[in-house]
Amino acid sequence: MSTDDDIDTPPDDEERHRRLLDETDYDTDLGLELARDAQRVTAGELSEAAFYRRYHDRIVEEFEMDDREIDLPDPDALAAGEGGDGGVGDGSGDAGGFLDRLGDALEGFDPDDGESRRSVMKKGAAAGALALGGLGSTGGAGPGDGTAAGAAGSGEEGDGTRWGMTINLNNCDGCLACMVACDQEHNLSRGANWMYVFAFEDENQGEETNFLPRTCQHCTDSPCTKVCPVGARHTREEDGLVLTDYDICIGCRYCEVSCPYGVNYFQWGEPDVPESEIDDDHQIDDRGRWVGSRPPEGVMGKCTFCVDRQDGQMGEEKIGTTACEEACTMDAIHFGDLNDPESPPNRHLREYRESQENDRSDYPNRKEHTVSTFQLLEERGTDPNVTFVGNAPSQDARQVDGPVTYEEMGLTDNRKEVLDQGAEAAGGETA
Amino acid sequence: MSVDVTGVDRDTLVRPIRTVSTRYLAALSVALGMIGVWLFFYLQQLRHGLIVTNLADWGSGGGVPWGLYIGAFIWWVGIAHGGIILSAAVRLLGMDTYQPVARLAELLTIAALTCAGIFILIHVGRPDRLVTSVIPAWPTRVQWSPLMWDVTVITAYFVLTATYLGLTIRYDLHRLRNRLPNRLDPIYDVLLVGYSETEDAVVERMVWWIAFAIIIMAPLLLHGGVIPWLFALLPSMAGWAGGVQGPSFLSIALTSAVSGIIIVAAAFRYAYGWAELIPEAVFRGLGQWLGFFSLLFLWLQLQQVITGIFAAPTTLQHATEVKIATPLYWVAIGVVALAMLYVFAASLRPSLFSLPLLVALSVGVLAGTLIEKVLFVVEGLMHAHFDLYAGVPGAYTPSAVELSALVGTVGIVVLFFLVVSKVIPVVELHAIEDHGEVEG
Repeated sequence: MSTDDDIDTPPDDEERHRRLLDETDYDTDLGLELARDAQRVTAGELSEAAFYRRYHDRIVEEFEMDDREIDLPDPDALAAGEGGDGGVGDGSGDAGGFLDRLGDALEGFDPDDGESRRSVMKKGAAAGALALGGLGSTGGAGPGDGTAAGAAGSGEEGDGTRWGMTINLNNCDGCLACMVACDQEHNLSRGANWMYVFAFEDENQGEETNFLPRTCQHCTDSPCTKVCPVGARHTREEDGLVLTDYDICIGCRYCEVSCPYGVNYFQWGEPDVPESEIDDDHQIDDRGRWVGSRPPEGVMGKCTFCVDRQDGQMGEEKIGTTACEEACTMDAIHFGDLNDPESPPNRHLREYRESQENDRSDYPNRKEHTVSTFQLLEERGTDPNVTFVGNAPSQDARQVDGPVTYEEMGLTDNRKEVLDQGAEAAGGETA
Repeated sequence: MSVDVTGVDRDTLVRPIRTVSTRYLAALSVALGMIGVWLFFYLQQLRHGLIVTNLADWGSGGGVPWGLYIGAFIWWVGIAHGGIILSAAVRLLGMDTYQPVARLAELLTIAALTCAGIFILIHVGRPDRLVTSVIPAWPTRVQWSPLMWDVTVITAYFVLTATYLGLTIRYDLHRLRNRLPNRLDPIYDVLLVGYSETEDAVVERMVWWIAFAIIIMAPLLLHGGVIPWLFALLPSMAGWAGGVQGPSFLSIALTSAVSGIIIVAAAFRYAYGWAELIPEAVFRGLGQWLGFFSLLFLWLQLQQVITGIFAAPTTLQHATEVKIATPLYWVAIGVVALAMLYVFAASLRPSLFSLPLLVALSVGVLAGTLIEKVLFVVEGLMHAHFDLYAGVPGAYTPSAVELSALVGTVGIVVLFFLVVSKVIPVVELHAIEDHGEVEG
């Protein structure tokens, strides 16, 4: 049985695809051939490398560049005899890899990106959506949610910057200094606790009170960016920060209900700190988008990993730091570039593990250290960029009063009470 | 069951257009009053922000960010979708019995979709950006955001329904023109622009295809698809996720819509002495549909409760336990069950049938489905998987501002019918005259 026939797009579909591709400005035949061969790649009948080579010239001719992301040497160089087949890849490479990346590419393009990239995207979207349908990863990301965050993926080293944290729960004493620092730095309204420290007791973890500082997890595969109807909630391509464009957000709160962590705080009424008291440096990021400091009324806000600091607008020395980290005297919060092995979060984790060595002289089968780490709700597949050192709260964990209360620090725990007062005040004025 | 109303004359059909009674004016005042109450409260929301609602942040915030506004949005969309499904079914399947109420169902769809739109408008924090943010984002975001799918299909649907209505009205207006008031001529001129009788056959085919599109779209994409997907696709909230939401939403939509049509049709029948035009048999038939859809509704609720309490994951189990411990939930289930039992009893013993009772039960069913929808939204949000927060579950009772919007939108629907019925015939000519026999 001819495998070619089996995996070819059925003639009817092909006719339909041809019609759709005809409506684009690009070469229909190329689109159909690409789609057919992409299926062969998935079926393992064609290597990624061969696929790449086969179309490289024609793609460059059609789109002026070949934007397919593949970790292969330049095929032109190979053709010139510098590599050869073996150097390109052995053909048994991860066939899903390229398609995943193609899927990633199809998922969204950054409006700020170059025109040529967008052209490839258009064609790719036509061919890909039709013929690949579902081969690429379908878990979408927003515009601007691009390769930087995608490549950073699951904690391996990647290109560029990927801001993240290691929070060592064993060091946290629940002093709430981080919450206060965050509140002040970002001019938050009462109860909008972008940084929130849980004090909890867990019957599975003994009698003592444990603490868990919760920022936004700046997930690599963030549900909030996926569901945002207007692309206001987005992942910044350059460093993976999950931000809200206050100029675009319509305040539907879909991000808030889709987030499994409850990190979003809507601006229900007038912000406590008026805009006139906040510098643009805090609010406008290096792309010129209004994403920093507290949100205006009617718009969603959440932890930004101090985007103003990361853009150097608070001074060079503040890059790679956050307000909460700076305020933490217990060495619990470590912020930095997760792609840099020497960054504070990576270094802390490494050094902490080294300091908690296991006794392997008597028990050689034990792992090297006794440190346990976790990410919040890992099973949700959001791929958070915050890693905790310590034990995850079990389902029996219950929040309790900590040694320092929120009120003592001038903070508000339950925002609903503040909102109720605000509603009364509003009603009183108009009544 | 076949009902012949072809004996009714054309004057009966245009009766609402040619009379204005004091009762009409009273109803108009009530509708305007209801809208006024809502506008009064809504102005407060515009001035102070959503803080005047009882919504809040979930998590440490101790509340729910979606509440009555979203519940009522789903409810209105459900009425709209069910309404047009029934009307399209009349056309596609040739269910002539229901022809006298087909246009009322279409009008209900337009009115209810408008109300659904209003709930989106007042739900968002920045209604001024609904155009400036949504339109530029559409080409990219429609690929990912269920909310964008939602906006898209509802808009498409509104256009389809309005087209459908616009096309079918021309036929009637042309033939009834000499019975219609001259002062409205400019409106009729616009509606009839370019009309000639040769288009009738073409329009009939077009309308068939639109009805076909609607009947395909509504269950698959609308209330059986996009609307439930707003929730069913989010794994963060235990009570929302899962495949049962599609069928469940659709059953609620159909139940609500039949109730709505029964109420509207009965109101016209009562107000204009239309016992002949909309005979009791129509209501008996609608009642049976109501009973059948109620049965589906109850069955799907049972599915959710059983799978939620038997050996469910802890958060789902907790969410379900709270749901079934909520008295209001049983009120909702109770009124729907009552309507179902009555309708089936009246089918077995026709002497039990009473139109006023059916209307009362329909009102009850609409209240029940609204309660179910609001509880679905709110309870769902109150039982997040990540429940370490002492503030979760929070508390939520709709504020006066939110409740007033419900009053206002009901007022809008009443106003819509009062106004439209003075302009166009709300029962189509085909109901009283077969296609072939119509002469100017």
